[in-house]
Amino acid sequence: MADMREMHSVLHAFAIKKLGSIEDAAALTGLDEAQVSALAAEAVAGGRLNEVDGRYMVTPTAQITLKGVYAKVYGTLRDDAGFREDYEAFERTNDDLKQLMTDWQTLTIAGETVANDHSDPDYDQRIISRLDRLHDRAERLLERLAQHVPRVGYYGNQLLAALEKAEDGDLRWVSDATIASYHTVWFELHEDLLRVTGLARRE
Amino acid sequence: MVGAAVTGRWLVGLDAAGGSALPDRGLIGGKAWSIAHMQSLGLPTPPAFVVTTEACLEYQRSGTMPDGLETELQAGMRWLEGRSGRRFGGDEKPLLVAVRSGAAISMPGMMDTLLNLGISEANLAALAAESGDAAFARDTYRRFLQLYAEVVLGTDCPELKCGENLGDWRAKVERNAGRAVPDDSMRQLSAAVQAVFDSWNSRRARRYRKHHGIPETLGTAVTVQLMVFGNFDGQSGTGVLFSRNPLDGSPVPYGEYLRRAQGEDVVSGRHTPQSLDDLHAHSPRLHAQLLTAAGRLEESNREVQDIEFTVQRGTLYLLQSRTAKRAPAAAVRIAVDMQREGAIDIAEAISRVTPAQVRSLLSPRLTAAAARTTPLATGNGVSPGVGAGVVVTSADEAESRAKRGEDVILATATTCPDDVHGMIAARAVVTEFGGSTSHAAVVGRSLGLPCVVGCGAGAVTALDGETVTVDGGAGGVYPGVLEIDHPDEREDEWLRQLLQWVAERSPLRVLRPDEAPEEDILDLDALEAAADPDRLAELLREVEAAGGRTVSSDEGIAAALAAKLRYIVAEPTLPPLLAAVQMSAGKES
Repeated sequence: MADMREMHSVLHAFAIKKLGSIEDAAALTGLDEAQVSALAAEAVAGGRLNEVDGRYMVTPTAQITLKGVYAKVYGTLRDDAGFREDYEAFERTNDDLKQLMTDWQTLTIAGETVANDHSDPDYDQRIISRLDRLHDRAERLLERLAQHVPRVGYYGNQLLAALEKAEDGDLRWVSDATIASYHTVWFELHEDLLRVTGLARRE
Repeated sequence: MVGAAVTGRWLVGLDAAGGSALPDRGLIGGKAWSIAHMQSLGLPTPPAFVVTTEACLEYQRSGTMPDGLETELQAGMRWLEGRSGRRFGGDEKPLLVAVRSGAAISMPGMMDTLLNLGISEANLAALAAESGDAAFARDTYRRFLQLYAEVVLGTDCPELKCGENLGDWRAKVERNAGRAVPDDSMRQLSAAVQAVFDSWNSRRARRYRKHHGIPETLGTAVTVQLMVFGNFDGQSGTGVLFSRNPLDGSPVPYGEYLRRAQGEDVVSGRHTPQSLDDLHAHSPRLHAQLLTAAGRLEESNREVQDIEFTVQRGTLYLLQSRTAKRAPAAAVRIAVDMQREGAIDIAEAISRVTPAQVRSLLSPRLTAAAARTTPLATGNGVSPGVGAGVVVTSADEAESRAKRGEDVILATATTCPDDVHGMIAARAVVTEFGGSTSHAAVVGRSLGLPCVVGCGAGAVTALDGETVTVDGGAGGVYPGVLEIDHPDEREDEWLRQLLQWVAERSPLRVLRPDEAPEEDILDLDALEAAADPDRLAELLREVEAAGGRTVSSDEGIAAALAAKLRYIVAEPTLPPLLAAVQMSAGKES
């Protein structure tokens, strides 16, 4: 199992979570906050991170360096047939997830698309049940992916947390882009895996 | 009618048409109850029986299938055979059933519907002959195996390809699940019932009940219903019917019908359904029967109904009826019309329209002349609304220029999580790749931002620096800042009625800008802190009146009510008035 060195892990975390906090990066990398804090300070001094009010973003040159790091660290993994199969399964699940999110946000009524205004709890409940079943599938898939890339486990936990909040009745946790909703976390996970595989985003 | 309904210690045959009273909803669950309800209105449904919640609770207590349930399931199937003239597990005229979970309250984690149970390699040919469609019979078997693997065996079903033979499919499922699909249909049925009972105790169902205070003693029922087929012959078909038009709300039934087709054909979009006129031309009797059913269901439920139906060899069956989804214009018109017809009172009518629906109806749009402008780029309009500004091609630039007060349009090839902060700052988002389900579309809609996706390679990033107007509904990117039209809430008959009702009942006065007195009115939009909904309450403390877009939002109205403002200033007035009335009604009940 290959993994990035700690500094690269921290840079990667802020590449995924642009303008994220030290806590965000610690959660994603599994490093403790003091360590992340020290590494972030070092990266800021070295021109690899920019800091604004305790939030960090990767500088353009460090972004380029990171690409090289991914290629080196995950080079063997990219050729691993089992991993590639699992990644393809993720892409398929990703298509299902996006369709589900679209069904969550819009309805087709008599052939016309209108926004779901969430006035019908039964409809919403059916979609959340679908999300629930999709999550079961995703969970098994993420477990397999996490054997190669341990931080995938972090996304699994975040996804479950968002799902449970949605189930508990706070509907924002399905797709709201301003919080760590199911879609937000999934979107980040997708980005993370694209970086691991070196593949281009298809849309 | 064929004899009395089947009944037993654990089982209830649904036969309310026989004049018997509706069974207890707690005993048979919501789905079965709605079938029984349709029957009690004299409407035709495929015959069905229910394994009751008591059987589920007994299973939970003892950990094994209740004594005698097996025998009762067999009796239930014999009863369905008698009602349908078909054979369960036989080689000829196969009887297929749908198995559904159903508690009195629906909850996540419960088993999904299992369709086509009863099909087997032995009777595939018979189904092929009846439908005259061998591919359909094979596909029915394939979908059965897939669902059985997923919902009963609890495994991810591997892809079963059309070219493979039936034995390959079964072997694949067995390999994945570590268990085989039983050959015997009766054993499959029993396993499906048990899977529903087990799903009552799934981690998520338990968690859901705990959180929502739903008692463990409720249990779930299992509905077993005969499947009917709309593709057997020229006298068969399938469709949906709305008891009123769901787009404009006019009191005219609206429907779609597809001859010689099964439900999936309509849903999948493989065939283009015809209007209900086709059913009328084909069979005026069925058409009349269907419209009568729609009328009765609407009257009984006091709500517009969305009805799924199938015609099998000239016999109409209603599969499901539920409250219809509707477009915003229809929501307003139907609520007002039904009050005028005496079906509901004013309070109920008001509760059936959401502030979001009226906001959407009254949202600014391009004038007719502006909409005729030749676009610079077109794509898939996935999030409605109109936004104008200067095109920028990076999220960082969008954010920094928006902070300086500029209106910007974010144009990118695709979007990644990095771009979200730029989208939030933009007036609209346009992308070159991706369709209606792309991440950009999902994020755009979640932010209520006009969004056009899939404009084509280079089509929008090339507009860097140009001023454009984006119509996120029509999917167009136009040169310059185009003229906008604000619909007037007083011009539409139904909006006007709704407006009058809420204005009379609102605990908060809402004045139009031209009606507001010349005095100190706090403009919330001018305060940066107002972007944070949690801070609205503190901003409105000691304030007499407020205005701006923020105060008209649901959060703004909640804060204005809490702060007991004398009035707010807004245009249009209907969305905030409606929100205020609904919030105060919510508190009283």
